[in-house]
Amino acid sequence: MEPSPLIGPATTLGYPAPYWFLLGFKVLGFILHAVPMSLWLAGTIAAMLLNRYGHGHARRFASRLMQQMPLIIAAGVNLGIVPLLFTQVAYYRVFYPATILMAWAWLSIIAMLAVAYYGVYLHVLGLRGQAGWLKPYTGAAGWLAALLFIIIGFFFTNGFSLMTNVGAWRDIWEHTSIAAAPLGTALNFGDPTLLPRFLMFFGLALTTLGAYALLDTAVFAGRESPEYHRAMPLLALKIRIPGLLLFALCGTWYFFGALPQATRDYMFSSWHAPLTVLTAISPGLACPFVLLLIRRFSRVLCVVAAVVQFAAIALNAVSRQIVQNFELKPYLDVAAERVNMQWSPLILFLLLFVAGLGVLIWMIVQVAAVQRRELKHQPAGKKH
Amino acid sequence: MHYPWWHVPFITAPMLIAAVAVVHVLVSHYAVGGGLFLAIETRHAYAAANREYLAYLKQHAWFFVLLTVAFGAITGVGIWWTIGLASPLATEMLIHIFVFAWAMEYVFFFLEIASAFIFFYYWDRLEPKIHMAIGFIYAGAAWISLVLITGITAFMANPGAWPEHQSFWVGFFNPQFVPQVLARTGGALLLTSLYVYLHASFKVKEQRLRNLIEMRSARPALLGAALIVLGGLSWLTFLPESARAALLAATTLNILMLLVFALTAIVFVVFYIGPYRNPGWLSPGFAILFLLFGLAAVATGEFVREAVRKPFVCYNVVLCNQVLPAEAPALQQRGYLNGGTWTRAWVARQYPQVMRGGEVDAPALLTLSAEDRRHVGEVLFMYHCNDCHAPTFGYAGLAPMIRGWTPEMIDESVKRPEQLRFFMPPWMGTPEEAELLAGYLRTLVPPYPAGMDTGSAQ
Repeated sequence: MEPSPLIGPATTLGYPAPYWFLLGFKVLGFILHAVPMSLWLAGTIAAMLLNRYGHGHARRFASRLMQQMPLIIAAGVNLGIVPLLFTQVAYYRVFYPATILMAWAWLSIIAMLAVAYYGVYLHVLGLRGQAGWLKPYTGAAGWLAALLFIIIGFFFTNGFSLMTNVGAWRDIWEHTSIAAAPLGTALNFGDPTLLPRFLMFFGLALTTLGAYALLDTAVFAGRESPEYHRAMPLLALKIRIPGLLLFALCGTWYFFGALPQATRDYMFSSWHAPLTVLTAISPGLACPFVLLLIRRFSRVLCVVAAVVQFAAIALNAVSRQIVQNFELKPYLDVAAERVNMQWSPLILFLLLFVAGLGVLIWMIVQVAAVQRRELKHQPAGKKH
Repeated sequence: MHYPWWHVPFITAPMLIAAVAVVHVLVSHYAVGGGLFLAIETRHAYAAANREYLAYLKQHAWFFVLLTVAFGAITGVGIWWTIGLASPLATEMLIHIFVFAWAMEYVFFFLEIASAFIFFYYWDRLEPKIHMAIGFIYAGAAWISLVLITGITAFMANPGAWPEHQSFWVGFFNPQFVPQVLARTGGALLLTSLYVYLHASFKVKEQRLRNLIEMRSARPALLGAALIVLGGLSWLTFLPESARAALLAATTLNILMLLVFALTAIVFVVFYIGPYRNPGWLSPGFAILFLLFGLAAVATGEFVREAVRKPFVCYNVVLCNQVLPAEAPALQQRGYLNGGTWTRAWVARQYPQVMRGGEVDAPALLTLSAEDRRHVGEVLFMYHCNDCHAPTFGYAGLAPMIRGWTPEMIDESVKRPEQLRFFMPPWMGTPEEAELLAGYLRTLVPPYPAGMDTGSAQ
């Protein structure tokens, strides 16, 4: 290992927990965050397009999705905190320099997210006919939100790819600084992995959106007509096909055209090889279930398809983590830092985590009971 | 020193933290107080079977969700984002000391978001008992979030015995913890009443309902004002000596501090005489004026809280120029440029002739050309001074401060800044580097203002 002269010293405080614990929460957090994040990244633009060019049930799904979007965004922002927190604990030596080099773009994510969030709210008010004098702007608000979510995603990919592109830091720094102080105006455009990585994730997000259309139909769309239920698997397939194509195309570009040979070899060595292959094919694994659903609608199969898609996200996150550590290896061994265990805060956190989950489940049970009650009292013809 | 320094022209990077923090605080305190308000008032409205009041509370819950769950949550992440960019070493330290406090806070934040949505979207759909319980889950989670985050922010003002023990709990339950929890809880209650007044003054037309809202919201405001004063006074008591001295020494901070107490006292008196004892005052003008008072008081409090910590970001833990106090002796001996990861790399790249065995040879820097010496001086300024000073114009711009200074005055101030002003960090480099920085500053000095007749020869 040849440490980069631009990576600072390790903290004297040490890790507050073993590296595997930090990594576990980082990856788990990212997997959970990736679900809502995929929905707002691909879902907002898809909903706007379906609303504009789609018909019947497709427009209905677009409307449903956008009405759920404020909750999805809230969940996504919230779940994004976990991976970012543990990234800053374990990868701080590369995370801070990378984000400082692109500080303005990184900071603008917050402003764009706020605008996009309110754009979605305004669009939803328009869908519900409650926008009042703002009605003429509700369409534009939805398109703006969709565009901003895509830019946010692109900036995120910049940030996290720059984090491991340590070799490029010096050049970027020298071109965007005054008296050795970065102006924060850079992006990671010189990295050949940037674009395919972003597009590959966008493709994965589209496949997730397709799977979510099924989950939404099975779990949340009890009040929709039987025709709507039967139409959704085909729509899910139509959303997933461009997603799969994009994922396959850009994944191939990313893996065989952008990643260095050493990384490819590593990802095909020992137990990484089956993982890599499984990761590559995983977004397609839900397809047989979707095809079965087109023939015959089944709530259980919808949920199974969604679970399989969740597994695809998880596999991608795990593989991505392995690549990230391998890319950093020439400069930094993140697992080698001293551990200074904080036992009692850790135990308290885990206890609160479990208790919090308990409270959350209790609230969900209450909400589900309301949903069931309301569905029971709905006119028979409206029920599925 | 361990990270690149982000140069933000005019306002300087740390002022971005202040800007984002103030905006966030104005909403996040409402997120805490508003949760308590909605939980308690919904219970009251259910118990009194007051449908009108319940209908208003539902309207208010929508306003609350729209503001706190969206804007409050995003700006909260925004502060974290900004401190990582503008103060990376301090953020690194805080994250490593308090990661589990943040993680615990995350659990409560998640509960907040989930319960806020359920509380609003399932209004009239959940049984009142369950609905109220969810309101109280929100209120409890939001307040515990405040407590957890305050443990960290209070640590920055006075970490107590943490530097000796380096224990999570010693750091968390620091001398500033209770005062700040009191003051922030008070701020949350007071601000909430002001937000309620603003909302109700525009939304409620019926006088009887307006009076009810006015009177009931005055109670938390009065309690909040009392807690702010109590918390504020104990905050003053448990400040480190340097922070109290900074408050006394800086006229602006003095005035601002007085302003916070004065505005709080005014709001207390007016609320007691007005809405609490004689409801009927509520109008959009009154509500806007008092919300502005409240926002000004909270924003001022945040500014003072930030300012009195100098020369530290975290008292006795991290200096404002991103140096750990323990690193100072080595930097003074081996050189500031040499001690910084990015500054050393920069010198090695630009002036390889001054590198000896991979280290910057400080005396050799003086052999560079005049232009290069100025350039190195500018780098020293960026990494040593730009955290608090814009070079020319802008936040605490240095050039206007040193107008008319002689070279000797500049030399002296560079070598012993902490003696000139105790809230400045000491010089962290070698004498040669001090000479280079002083040389750069000399190029910034504007001339002594012409035309002044003070009766003495210049």
